[in-house]
Amino acid sequence: MDIKKMFYGEYGGQFVPETLIPALDELDHAFENAIKNENFIEKFNSLLRNYAGRPTPIYFAERFSRKYGLKLYLKREDLLHTGAHKINNTIGQGLLTSFMGKKRIIAETGAGQHGVATATVAALLGLECIIYMGKLDAKRQEPNVKRMKILGAEVVEVENGSMTLKDAMNEALRDWVKNVKNTHYIIGSTAGPYPFPKIVAYFQSVIGKEARDFFDKNCILPDYVIACVGGGSNAMGIFQGFLDTNVRLIGVEAGGKSNKIGEHAMTLNLGKKGILHGSLSYLLCDDDGQVAPVHSISAGLDYPGVGPQHAYFKDSGKIKYDFVRDNDALQGFFELSRLEGIIPALESSHAIGYVIKNQELFKDKVVLLNLSGRGDKDMKIIEKKI
Amino acid sequence: MRGIYIVGGYPDKESFLKIADIVLNKMDFIEIGIPFSDPVADGPIISSAINNILGKINVKEIIDITKLLGKEKNIFYMTYSNIIYSYGIKKFSDEVKNYIKGIIIADLPNRLHDFFYQRGLEIPIIPFITPESRESDIKEIIKYRPPFIYFIGIRGITGSKADLDNSEIIDKIKVIKKLTDIPVIIGFGIKGKKDAKKAISIADGFVIGTEAVKVQNNLQLFIDFVNSLQ
Ligand SMILES: Cc1ncc(COP(=O)(O)O)c(C=O)c1O
Repeated sequence: MDIKKMFYGEYGGQFVPETLIPALDELDHAFENAIKNENFIEKFNSLLRNYAGRPTPIYFAERFSRKYGLKLYLKREDLLHTGAHKINNTIGQGLLTSFMGKKRIIAETGAGQHGVATATVAALLGLECIIYMGKLDAKRQEPNVKRMKILGAEVVEVENGSMTLKDAMNEALRDWVKNVKNTHYIIGSTAGPYPFPKIVAYFQSVIGKEARDFFDKNCILPDYVIACVGGGSNAMGIFQGFLDTNVRLIGVEAGGKSNKIGEHAMTLNLGKKGILHGSLSYLLCDDDGQVAPVHSISAGLDYPGVGPQHAYFKDSGKIKYDFVRDNDALQGFFELSRLEGIIPALESSHAIGYVIKNQELFKDKVVLLNLSGRGDKDMKIIEKKI
Repeated sequence: MRGIYIVGGYPDKESFLKIADIVLNKMDFIEIGIPFSDPVADGPIISSAINNILGKINVKEIIDITKLLGKEKNIFYMTYSNIIYSYGIKKFSDEVKNYIKGIIIADLPNRLHDFFYQRGLEIPIIPFITPESRESDIKEIIKYRPPFIYFIGIRGITGSKADLDNSEIIDKIKVIKKLTDIPVIIGFGIKGKKDAKKAISIADGFVIGTEAVKVQNNLQLFIDFVNSLQ
């Protein structure tokens, strides 16, 4: 195994128990073969098209644009089956699971979108499915827990630690160590040990490809591309379509309530280098290396780590990482709902809130925003704010 | 080589020192766990002891109490990558290299040992062999001449039960023994005297973790447990 290929600059790697190494090698091998295999790619593309509903439109948000003085285009991942970009990845990894001859899949979930997308693909492909979800997340994203159960998945509520995404991922890794022979772990973001960041970025790259095609056809490029960043998959998905251009790329992290440790999830903005869940990247942890508590109003961004590609692009300056607070996200949520009739996921609402907060910067600019998901799942959180 | 794993600093510094002394007197080596907030290789018992002590003791304090146990003792550390990385790999190494004989890093696979060595670690990292390891993997790790090989007898995390009659395990150990004279220690899943005896018969030793940590907060029960292994 060539160690260098596991790293993006200095970030990435495979910091996992030895027991998982053969499975990661097997996965890498299967992935590299699969994407060269015509049948696999055809199956993947056909499911994206006929099952998930790709390509997703690019929609010009006219009333929003008029009010805030810019030209805002939305990449409508919220219109996908199951309601978020997560399904792109789970279809890909679900097919890989079958390709490897495994019959059982596990996944972690925060917002429940990745859990639902995994449970959906499990039903589609006839695989056994266990979803790990922090107890706090299961409460605040309750509609998604019900959906997973309807789809036939077993939902394990994790009561360790902060009872959120990080702890769900710990539990999923423990399961994988025990059951690695017959189980594939579908990691839901560009996080985790190599080859996951590579695989997830690949399966999400369709977002950026479609978006780039749209702009190429119209013979323009946007001035800015904006996406929210949790683990980083929807952002990597759309940014990959524009890495060869000078379009400014901005990832928006969850600023929570304040810069105080425990009150935000600004890994790239305020974290330092560290190792969690298989890769070296930026991390919110104390001087002793203990992972810090995090907070975000959106469960999908409530994570102390971030994918290694983002750490790499932050250092290189290719992508800028900024943040908005919970309240900005809420404003984005309501503004898009009431100006455009589109209820966004609270994760995606961070990107919208960012546009509102920085309307001066974006004045008269063409801005492409990845609307990574829809907000039905967030009713429990929003209820109290109406 | 018979060893016991205990969680560093648990349940408190004084009790920990007493327990560590007992282990060093009655067993051949001790593995001291440096707590990490996200112990993905540990089951509920060890995780909960770690959780209990987090925030009450820091890495520097664990290093300091290790030094109280004396130089040239058969002390090993067990921890996770981020603990050493965040402390500063070279700084960590410089501070403890005269006090411990090796380090087990639960989330550091063999192929990434160089990642730590290249950044200044001068303490031997104990390699893992699992039932899945290939012969080429074994050849790769013995090049470093580690103090011992950590054989993970189960697919699973700490707290599960090993099946030492399983031919897969026995055969794998035979393969290792054919390739090297480095001692093979069975870790994970050893519960009590019966397993311990069995481990000694098929390998060169064992480490008991979960069963020891279960009684780590009760000195008398801990002494009884260690005695039951004799
Ligand atoms: C709609 C939506 N957007 C974004 C995210 C954040 O994940 P990532 O940064 O991997 O896109 C999630 C995660 O649950 C999500 O559900």
